[in-house]
Amino acid sequence: MSIVLDGLTKRFGGRAVVDRVGLEIADGELFVLLGSSGSGKSTVLRMIAGLTSSDGGTIQLMGRDVTNLPPQQRGVGFVFQNYSIFQHMTAAKNIAFGLRIRGVRRGERRRKSEELLDLVGLGGLGDRYAHELSGGQQQRVALARALAYEPHVLLLDEPFGALDVKIRAQLRRSFREIQRRLGVTTILVTHDQEEAFEIADRIGVVERGRLIEVGNAEDLYYRPDSLFTATFVGAGTVFVGRCREGRAEFGPLALPLPPDVPHEEGAPVRVLIRPEQVLLTEEAPTEGLALGQGRVVESSFVGALRRVRLRVPRLPRTRQISPPAPYGEEGLLLEAVLPADRAVPEEAWVSLGGWRILEQPLPTLLVADALNGVAPPMESARPFAAALHGSIVVLGIVQGAEPPEALRDKLKAEFENEVAEIRVRAGLPAEQLRNEQAENFYDLAVLGALGRQAVRSVSLRRFLRESSTPLLFGAPREKFEKILICTAVGEPGKSDVRVGGWLAGRMGASVTLLHVSRDASPAPPWIRSHLDQGVATLSGFDVTAEARVRTAPTALEGILLEARQGDYDLVVIGSHGPRSRSVTARDDVTIQILDSANRPVLVVPEDSG
Amino acid sequence: MSAGQTGRGSSVFPVSVLLLVLLPLLLMPLAAVFVFALRGGPLAFWDAIRAPEAQFALRFSLLIAFGTTAINAVLGTLAAYVLSKYRFWGDRTLGVVVNLPVAIPTVVVGTSLLLLWGPIGLLGKLLDPLGLQPMFRPAGVLLAHLFVTFPYMLGAVKPVLDELETTYEEAAYTIGATRWTTFRLVLLPALRGGLITGALLTFAHSLGEFGATVMVSGNMRLKTQTAPLYIFAQFEAGDIAHANAIAAVLALLSFTIFFFLFRFASRGKGRSAE
Repeated sequence: MSIVLDGLTKRFGGRAVVDRVGLEIADGELFVLLGSSGSGKSTVLRMIAGLTSSDGGTIQLMGRDVTNLPPQQRGVGFVFQNYSIFQHMTAAKNIAFGLRIRGVRRGERRRKSEELLDLVGLGGLGDRYAHELSGGQQQRVALARALAYEPHVLLLDEPFGALDVKIRAQLRRSFREIQRRLGVTTILVTHDQEEAFEIADRIGVVERGRLIEVGNAEDLYYRPDSLFTATFVGAGTVFVGRCREGRAEFGPLALPLPPDVPHEEGAPVRVLIRPEQVLLTEEAPTEGLALGQGRVVESSFVGALRRVRLRVPRLPRTRQISPPAPYGEEGLLLEAVLPADRAVPEEAWVSLGGWRILEQPLPTLLVADALNGVAPPMESARPFAAALHGSIVVLGIVQGAEPPEALRDKLKAEFENEVAEIRVRAGLPAEQLRNEQAENFYDLAVLGALGRQAVRSVSLRRFLRESSTPLLFGAPREKFEKILICTAVGEPGKSDVRVGGWLAGRMGASVTLLHVSRDASPAPPWIRSHLDQGVATLSGFDVTAEARVRTAPTALEGILLEARQGDYDLVVIGSHGPRSRSVTARDDVTIQILDSANRPVLVVPEDSG
Repeated sequence: MSAGQTGRGSSVFPVSVLLLVLLPLLLMPLAAVFVFALRGGPLAFWDAIRAPEAQFALRFSLLIAFGTTAINAVLGTLAAYVLSKYRFWGDRTLGVVVNLPVAIPTVVVGTSLLLLWGPIGLLGKLLDPLGLQPMFRPAGVLLAHLFVTFPYMLGAVKPVLDELETTYEEAAYTIGATRWTTFRLVLLPALRGGLITGALLTFAHSLGEFGATVMVSGNMRLKTQTAPLYIFAQFEAGDIAHANAIAAVLALLSFTIFFFLFRFASRGKGRSAE
């Protein structure tokens, strides 16, 4: 192994910009670190070179621990994005610089620099100064300079980033050839996926300081594990469904779950479909996995191919992460490609020719409070985040004139160490919460005690109806041992049982499934069987559950009485969804429970389970 | 085209106003020095320069100017390097303090030097019994000039150093060059422009320094009298011809330095625009 990194970490101001990166790179390998700007990939490279000190972990080059050595003693060649050719030296002198300070004699220096000039394709240009060379030529000189003293490893930081597209492609090819010929172990950092795919032996995807996935181009494209890789590398569509009885359910489709991506029952499942895996046919497909009839909404010609975006009717209990659906989108949007010479149909049958189930995501909790200047309800969120092993995203919403940066800084100062991300939006709270849910997938939104007051009753009804994420309202509680799931609100829901059961399973709570009946006569058999199904579903989550039927004049009174008498830690109710029949907020049972339950309430949208 | 013509047509008035204002303010005084210097004819001018005291004053001034430039070139570059490359507690304050000499009246500088190094000064008191007394000696003049001209070198070098990407040094480090080698072979050549500008400015200011020098030198002819002090002394004694002759030489020297400065500055601009 030429390069071995173990637990490499760098912190700036308490934040880990490089977070426990471990990596082994074989002799002669060309490894590419791929990530967006600010992901920490360049910091990794600079730490290997010794230009930035590390705060943890070790770096081994050719079996030698260099973690605490200065850059001069590491034997690396480094190529910078800005070339950094010494302006007052000719190209040949630049190349010979490393030999000069090592005391190599003049004649030998000249011979070597001429050899290298030929290698990088600049034969005869040795007498030129930097300002007499083009950007691409300067970068060739920089490469030759880094190779002249025969370093153990070669490190390149976005080496082609400052060049024109044509020159870039040319230089990339000749760089790949030189690297192969010399067999020097190389790490190249880039944000350009095409570049990574073209030259890399292996690629490491870096996001927010973590090396999240390593593989060759095909692995990362067709068999990614993480959502980040799936969406960062290449185009495609990602849907979220649920794991049910060992299969991934996306509406009527039940895809087998491969053994290498285990999912627990009830957990969200994400599937990646690459554009070329979307099959478009004129006739309804007789075999394969049909998604339905789609309508082409966008089409762009990109040379060899034509990219199209299709809208297919919404599948039950299926949501979309990528491409992000604009607010108000009724269907599901799919990315597909067609041969450039094929006419674009207006409508086509859509079926899947292939897909990849992504690894079970760690749950993500959205924590927000919609009132200006009020801290997000972290107290309420913490027990859930801990039980779900989930990460927290804090959303701050500014209304009016307050600058978003001020709120971001405030939230950052307070929560930076315990949350994964801090986002700030400006606008009306209910609207921004809804937009945030549309653009990102959350398992749970924690809105706290004040969330109820922030959203006025009229807009609250709309908000609850349009929300796609389970919403947790109410003051924090120390323990979550008893959960009440009310099936009596509106139509008997399935989502509330599933989401409530999943939470109960993760938190080790027991569940009471409640039905409120208006008269004292025994419950009709369909109610009983419905409750039995619910209990069966819950036992699938390894949750202790019992069913209870209560008699009360109204469903509301029954639920409130049961909640108070049983002193439940959480009340789970379904939201009516778009088909709500209540006319005003006053007769909306959901809102009335929110107002009077005096304990945390989880409102589960119909389609989220 | 038409825009250029209107531009040229309307420029006559503002240009003539500017010239009219500048004539008595700048241009005529500059010319006056030479007119008066040569009024007595070239022979008188030559005699005035050849006078032993005048010769000493000119040579002493040049010597001090060279010494000041050499020492401040090193100190100023060091200060620029440290202030540009290192972040430490109080670095900003230090950056302001080292630039203060341009803001302090030079007479005040002279006074404070006397109060520090003079026979009854804070440090001078300790040195005096040892027979070391820099004030009213050439060393005192040098100290004053170092103080007064310190910011010029720093001011010329630090911006260049600040703007130079650190990747040049980092490239040298990864190649294997030590800090010192990198400074010598990579940074110093890149700083050439700033160094020359700073040196010329330091030299010119040292040559013309009066306020601090008059305080610390004691103005002793043939011992500590610089050219500007000589001019002042001759003027006071009513020997205007001698004063004017040296003044003309000083002015000529300054013109030459500024000629180089301007040429250098415009060439530097041409290079960076490429």
